[in-house]
Formats: sequence, structure tokens, C-alpha cells
Amino acid sequence: MSAFKFVASSGRSRLDYLLLGAMIGLVLVGAMCVMSAVNSLSLSSSVVRTHLVALLVGGAAFFAGWSFNYQIYDEQWKAVYGFILFLLVGVLLFGSYQRGSRSWFVFPFFSMQPSEICRVCTILVAAAFLDRRGRRIRDASTLFGLSLLLAPVFGLIMMQPDFSSVVVTFPALLVLLYCTGVNVFYLGLIGLFAGVTGFFTITWTYIYLHPELTDYWLIKAFFELSHNGWYMAGFSALVVLAGYGAWWFFKQLRIFLPSFYFVLATLVVLAGLFGGIFVDHQMKHHQRKRIETFLAPKSDPKGAGYNVLQAQIAMGAGGVFGKGLFSGTQSRLGFVPERHTDFILAVVGEELGLWGTLSILGLYLLMLWRIIVVAYSSSDRYGYLVCSGIFGMFFTYMLVNFGMLIGIVPVAGIPLPFISYGGSNLVASLLALGVVQSVYARRIKA
Amino acid sequence: MAVTKIFFNARLKVMMGLAIAAGAVIALRLVDIQVLRHNVYLQMAERNRTQVLYQTAPRGRVFTADGVAVASNEPSFSLYYLGGNQDAAYLDRLAHDFAPRLRLSAPQLLEKLRSGAKSGKATLLAENLSTKSMVSLQELQLYYPGIYLIEETKRSYPYGGFASHLLGYLGSMDDRAWRTRDLKMGYRLNSKLGKNGIEKKFEKELKGTDGGVYLEVDYRGRVKSIIEDKKWAAGSDVYLTLDFNVQNAAEEGLKNSKTGRGAAVALDPRTGAVLALASAPSFDPNIFVPYSDAENPAQSKKINEYNLAVQGIYPPASTFKIITAAAALEDGHLDITHKVNCTGHYDSGPRVFKCWGKHGPVDFFDGMSNSCDVYYYTVASQIGSAAIERIERKFMFGRQTGIALPGEKAGNLYGPTRRARNKTYWFIGDTLNLSIGQGELLVTPLKMAQFAAAVASRGNVYRPYYVDKIVSNQTGKTEQIGKPEILQKADLKPETYDLLFKALKYTVDNGTARRVKIKGLDVYGKTGTAQNPHGPDHGWFMAFAGREGKEPSIAVAVFVEFGEGGSSAAGPVARAMLEAYFGLGEYAPKPRPEEYYQELLPEESVHVGV
Repeated sequence: MSAFKFVASSGRSRLDYLLLGAMIGLVLVGAMCVMSAVNSLSLSSSVVRTHLVALLVGGAAFFAGWSFNYQIYDEQWKAVYGFILFLLVGVLLFGSYQRGSRSWFVFPFFSMQPSEICRVCTILVAAAFLDRRGRRIRDASTLFGLSLLLAPVFGLIMMQPDFSSVVVTFPALLVLLYCTGVNVFYLGLIGLFAGVTGFFTITWTYIYLHPELTDYWLIKAFFELSHNGWYMAGFSALVVLAGYGAWWFFKQLRIFLPSFYFVLATLVVLAGLFGGIFVDHQMKHHQRKRIETFLAPKSDPKGAGYNVLQAQIAMGAGGVFGKGLFSGTQSRLGFVPERHTDFILAVVGEELGLWGTLSILGLYLLMLWRIIVVAYSSSDRYGYLVCSGIFGMFFTYMLVNFGMLIGIVPVAGIPLPFISYGGSNLVASLLALGVVQSVYARRIKA
Repeated sequence: MAVTKIFFNARLKVMMGLAIAAGAVIALRLVDIQVLRHNVYLQMAERNRTQVLYQTAPRGRVFTADGVAVASNEPSFSLYYLGGNQDAAYLDRLAHDFAPRLRLSAPQLLEKLRSGAKSGKATLLAENLSTKSMVSLQELQLYYPGIYLIEETKRSYPYGGFASHLLGYLGSMDDRAWRTRDLKMGYRLNSKLGKNGIEKKFEKELKGTDGGVYLEVDYRGRVKSIIEDKKWAAGSDVYLTLDFNVQNAAEEGLKNSKTGRGAAVALDPRTGAVLALASAPSFDPNIFVPYSDAENPAQSKKINEYNLAVQGIYPPASTFKIITAAAALEDGHLDITHKVNCTGHYDSGPRVFKCWGKHGPVDFFDGMSNSCDVYYYTVASQIGSAAIERIERKFMFGRQTGIALPGEKAGNLYGPTRRARNKTYWFIGDTLNLSIGQGELLVTPLKMAQFAAAVASRGNVYRPYYVDKIVSNQTGKTEQIGKPEILQKADLKPETYDLLFKALKYTVDNGTARRVKIKGLDVYGKTGTAQNPHGPDHGWFMAFAGREGKEPSIAVAVFVEFGEGGSSAAGPVARAMLEAYFGLGEYAPKPRPEEYYQELLPEESVHVGV
């Protein structure tokens, strides 16, 4: 593990300078890109001002996170949990309603999105919970307990609704669970659940957008499953039968597996079905269109596929060296949508070229590597867990945001921390890195 | 603790491995998009942001040999709408204000505006606007942002139907044109291209490179800036071998002739260059360059594209007697002083052949100058039809002249050999018919001009050509197109030509071709009247001439359909052409060519209020 040995030689430093360097690099590139991206917008000066203020606040958050002993969050996890619920309930009660969701606090001089800070806090709480599980960490009860603990949080977020926040938090928690040492079988079940849910959601959406497919009776029956109770009951019975059949089959083969594995698998498939039904009923038309675009990007270049296509045109037009800052035509003339937030990488790609996008990717990988190094060098399990969770969060951001641009992930409306414009996200991300630095600073037991 | 550390280590490694793998996939895809597909995406980005208002380049002009521009360009204006402001009330107002000036109805214009607004691309509202309407439009466009007035040129033919069968005309892009041309070749939806004649043949050279105003627009089609104002490059000029005055004389003459239908061709016997090639009735190619697409397109349907000079075939009649005479002279047995008594008819045995007059005793020269049929019946029956056919073949009768014009007819060779090939019989009556150019023998007017030129040049059968050179307006380079090309040599004895010249001059001075007797010129000529079973006879006239004592420098053949008399109908046309060529008689100094587009079009080509 030559990569981790680097830690030992770095002495008793209180800061991981590589992580700090990656962070500063990302923040600087981000500030530059936001300025360039909004240059042609009428509200450009206010956007730039907000970004710089957020940078200052974020810097403060970073220092706070760094100087506070992270073990406080472990000890006072109930307070942190309460803080999350307080914010999320507060935003539902007092938040302002924008673009179809209630997820903003609007104050006289600034506004903030509490779900961003809640995401980091959720990781802290989840890590504290897992830390307390001690030797029972591999039990199924760990997962149930965590689910029960976080259900109110996710429930409140879905009430806003803030779909993209869930999209990022959920994989981060999976990574956290994996690094905690949870039985891989359970993680597999969670994966199976997500897979079944995703399968039903995507296929139903596809059929919904192509009604002519229901001419075939099997597809029609499958589609009926999403909203007809009789079909649901019938299908559930089939699944239970299949589970029992599998158990019986294995028994005949004299391969003895614990019977609760089959029960669990059956339950998970059923849960996946109902999860799929739930998501299907929650989805709005534009979200269906996004899935459609992902499945067939060329199907509607003027409509839903337009955004991704224009973003890719922008990146491709940039070439290796780019057109130079402030001179990308795709972004400046408004062809790239959401150019200072979710699609800012397209602007980077157009104006700074391959070097720009690869630099950001490289800085991200450097940052992820250093977070892992910090996790490894942590003096206690809590620090290790917090770092794994934060690693999972940034990893998800990177994967989804880059993936959306290069067309391997559906458009999910997720920003790229440090690069995209978005004050709450920037502050929360800087705070998270501050916590990581705090873990690093306290790696040596006093 | 140590055990857990190792366990965690493994899972951390897996996570880091996943991150690196994801990073690698992303990096590869970025290279794919930003390096490998760079050009494709760059093009798409450029297409996104630019809108082009094209300016049609002036087509190359067409000049006659003496420098008169017979196809030129006039300034004209096109009106574009950029699809920026999409407010319905605005479009309505716009349509109401502009429609009357564009000779469109308001709903029609509104339709165009709406589709333009929808597409977000520049839409052509009207083209070929006149200078007069431009002034009021220019004023109006100041009040309507999004409206662009672009200065272009349009084709004009200043002399109307002048050489219309040679020049051809322009038409718009149709499906057939798109099959062989595309945007890369500079053709657009509203491009015009040559549909016939020189305009079609030299389309590539005449076209030039269109200019355009390149505008930068945002995603809603609003103009942000003018990127480039690219000037057009005019097409190359084509120089014809035509002599403006001769062509003009031919056209005027035919138009004013008895029936107004016919053809007149003049060649330079020294080179085969076409000095005039007229076919009546002609048409005015200007009608294909309409004011706007709303104006009577029906007019363009009824034009006479039939080029009688190369597509009409008729018996050559008495002009053919030159061949019979040449055959007799070549035969060597003809005593030119021997007189044949013309009683007005000739008894061939089975049938009696008539002469058009009663000439009494005629010798070789009288026979030519009076065009006495009996003389030629007698001579032909002595030398035989095969001898005549031999000479006929030497002057390439029954073959195309090889001029570069579409649809040229070859005519029909008439003689015993041809008859034998068709496995039918040859009768004495055929010989007699052949001798005076009647019967199955058919020629085009151009063929007769080629024949006249061949006699004038003592046997050089040239391929006629009418395009001299192409001069590029960009590089100034000259490309020689037409060159003299001898197709065949009609190698008769020099004495034969001497006697033919003498006889033809005698015909002009004292005989039937007296109409082309011109002071100061040596003119040689022969008339002909082709019998026509379907109506009045056709008139023929062929002649060649040079200045006194000089070799002949022009050969003409004139044909007037249903003109009855060769001398009376076709003679005046031939005379006018000869006079025009030598600058005699009523022919005043020639008009000077005008430099059209270079003077008329200012450097600044756009009048815009962005």
C-alpha cells in the first residue's frame, strides 16, 4: 500500500497539504469558471458577488470544521440529528416555494438550501450510529436500525421534494456502509432493491412514453402492474411462489442455505416492486423525459435531448486547448442550459478545453485519494467512517456530474461541488473537507 | 484493531480502485468528445451561432467579340427576416407595412414571417426588388429590427432577345439540379442556375462565389453581432465570337422578313468562328428573372426555344447547284462554254421536269446566275449521280457540323450510294432532283453556312464555334475555349474553285443574287427556293464576301421559312449582315459596352440597423 505510506512520512502536520491544495485548486478554477459562465447573463454581477461571499463563508466553515474536534459529532450525534430535523421541518414550514419545490430559506440578504448542509450532517449521524454498533456491525439489525433512523430525514427531503439530494446521499451512505464492514450480502440486497426499483421505473417510463408498445398483451400486463391492484397482488403471489420454489429446489439439491435468505430476497423483490410503483407515481413528466433522453439521446434533439447535446457540442467544440475564457460561443449565447450550475463542465470544456476538464477530474481524483488516506490514518473508527461517507459523497458528485455530461448517467440536476455556482453547496462541501482535515489533524492519539 | 485495519484497508482499496476506474472511463470519454469528435462538434457549434444572409455573386458577363455585354447584371435587393422578435402583434404590423411594397398580400407575408420566426433561421421574404422600391423599404426597415435589406445583383440581358438561343436563360434550383449540385458547390435553395445555352454550359465558370453577411445569434435567434461581411467574387466573363452588329442585323432582318420565321448564320470562313447565329422567333431571357416570385410565372411557360438554325432541316434547293457544278467541273468533261437550250422543261423519259423559267441557250455562268434547272438536269445526267454524291460527301452533307449546341440535326445525305445501302432503287428522276437540291436531301441553315464558308476558304470544312475565351474576374486569367478545327478538306482542283468563285460572283453581279451586290466588296452568292408540298416555298440565300481584291472573310446562310423567294425573302437579311460586318451602309458606329456591376454596386453592401 505504497499510496498510504505517504501518511507516515508526513510527520506531525496538522493539515493534509495535498488535500488542501486540491481544494484550493478546485475552488479557484470554480470561481473562474463561474465568472466566465455568467459573464453574458444580465444578473452576472450578483451571481459573482454571491459566489465570492459563499467562498468566504465556506472558508470560515472549513476552518470551523478543521478546528472542531470531529469526535464532538460522535458524542453529540443526537443534537446533530435534531439539527437536521429542525432545518428540514423548518424549510417545509417557512421555506419559499421555487421551481416546484419548497427547499429554500430566504433571508433578507441571502438565501440558503438546508438540504446541502443536512447531507453532510446525515453522514456524520450515520457514521455515529454505525460507530456505536460495535461488534454487531455485520448484523442485519444494523441496516434496519439505520433505515429507521434516516427514514424521517429522507421522508422530509422527499416532501420538499428534492429528488437530486436523495440521489447523492443514498450512494454516499452505501459507500459508508461498505467501508464500515457491513455484510456484502446485505449490500447486495440493497443493490437488488435499487435495481428492481430502477428496472420497474425505467421500463414503465419507457412504456408510458411509447404507448404503442402496449399493443402486445404481455407488455400491457406489465404496464398494468404499475397502477392496477389486482395485477400487483397477482405478481406478488408469483414472487412469493418463486421464492418458495427456489427454497424447495435448493433443498432437493441438498444444498442447505439459511431459509431467511430466501425470505429476504423475496421481500426485497417485493419491496423493489412497490418502490418502483411509488417512484413511478411520484415522477413528473419532465423527469420521465430525462429518462427517455438517457435511453435514446438522439430521439428528440430539439426537445429533451437538447440540453445534453448542446453541452456535448460545447465540450467537443473546445477541443484540446479550448477557446479561451469568456469566449465560448455555446455558453455565451445561451445554447448550454444551466451553464453556471449543473452544466458548468460544458463551459469549462468549451473555454479551457480538454486540459480544463482533465484538470478538474485530476483534482477530484487527488481529493478522493487524500480523503481515503485520511480515512486510513484516522485514530479512531468514527473518523474513518466520517471520511468514508464524505468520500462517497464526493465520488457520487463526480460520477453523476461528469457522467451526465458524457452521457452515461441521466440528467439529474446535480451540481459539481467547488466548480458549480451554488452557495449552500459550496459552504457544505468546504465544511465537509474541514471535517476531513480535522480527522487528519487528530490522527495521532495524544 | 490491527485486524480491522487490514480489513478496512481492503475495502478502501476497492473504493479507490472504483474511483480510479470511473476517472479513467470519464477521461477516455472526454478525449473522445473533445479530441476525436472535436471537428464535428466545432462545426455544430458554429452552425448554432451563425446565420448567414447570402448575397448572390454577380454572374460572369457574356460579351460579343467586339466587347458588347449582352448578358450582364443589375443591382437588386433582397429582404430578409431574422426571426428574432417573435411577438405576434409585431409580425402583424410588419406584414401590413411591408406587404404592399413587396407585391404580396399581408396574409402571405405573415405566413412567411411566422415560419421564419418558428425556424429561427434567416428567411428570405422577397428577392429581386427594384432600386425604386428599395428606397422606401430602406426607410421602413429602420423601424423594424430583425429586417435586413441585402444588396445583390440580378441577371439582365440588356438587348432582350439578342442571341437568346445561344445565351440561354436562368432558372431556379429544382430536384434535378439538386441531384448534381449541393451546398458545398455554393448552391442554395434560392440559387439561380443556367438552364440552357451558354448559361447552362458555362454554369461553373459564370457562377462566381456568393458573398454573405455572417451574423452571430444567440439561442433564440437574436442578432448579437456581425461576424463577417464576406464580399462575393464575381464569376468569369465569357467572350463569344459573335459580332454584335452582324447578329443584330440577322435578328432584325429575320424579324422583319416576310414570315418572321427563319434562321441566319454567319461564319468566318478562315476559322469557322460563328459571327452570327440567329433563329426567329426568339425569346427574351429577362422574363426568367422575375421581379418577385408572385409575378406571373405563367409567362415563362410559352417561349420558343426551338433553334431553327441547328434543329430545322430543309432541302437546300438551288444553293445546292454549287455542288452539282463542282461535280461537273471535277469530272473534267464539262465544257463551260457549251450552251444548253432551256425551253422551260426537261424530258427525262418517264417524266417531264420543269424549269422555273424559260432561259433559252445558257452556258455554265448563265446556268449559275439564272439558276437554270434545265442546265443542271443536263449536266447531272451526263456526269451521273455518283459524282454529285462524292462532292456532297466531301463537304460533309448529312453530317452534323459539330457545333457545341444541343440537339443539332445532321440532315440527310441524298445519293445513289446511300440509296443502295437502304436497299432501294435509284431512278433517273432522283438524279435530276438531286442536281437542283430537292428530294430527300435535307440540311440545317448552319450546315449551309458551313458549306458557304468551306467554298469561300477553298475547301476547309471547319467546325463552327461560338465561344472564344473565358476571362476570370478574380485572377484575370484567360482560358481559350474556341479554336479553329478543320473537320475535313474538300480537296477540289484549284480551277474548280476559281470557276465556282467566278460563277458565284457573276450571280451576284448579274444574276439572281443581285440583292447582295455591295460597292467595295467582292460578294459571291446563290439563292434558293425550296419547294414545299405543305405550303409556301422556303427562301434560301447563301453568300460569302471579302473586301475588294481580298480573300472572303465572312460566309452567311439565310433561311426564311415559307419566304417563297430566296432573293426577295432571304436576300435583304444577308445583305444587312454583310453590310453590318464590313461597317457599310446604314450601320452606324457600334454601341460601347458598359461596365455594369463594378460601377453600380457600392463597396458597402449592407444597410443594417441591428
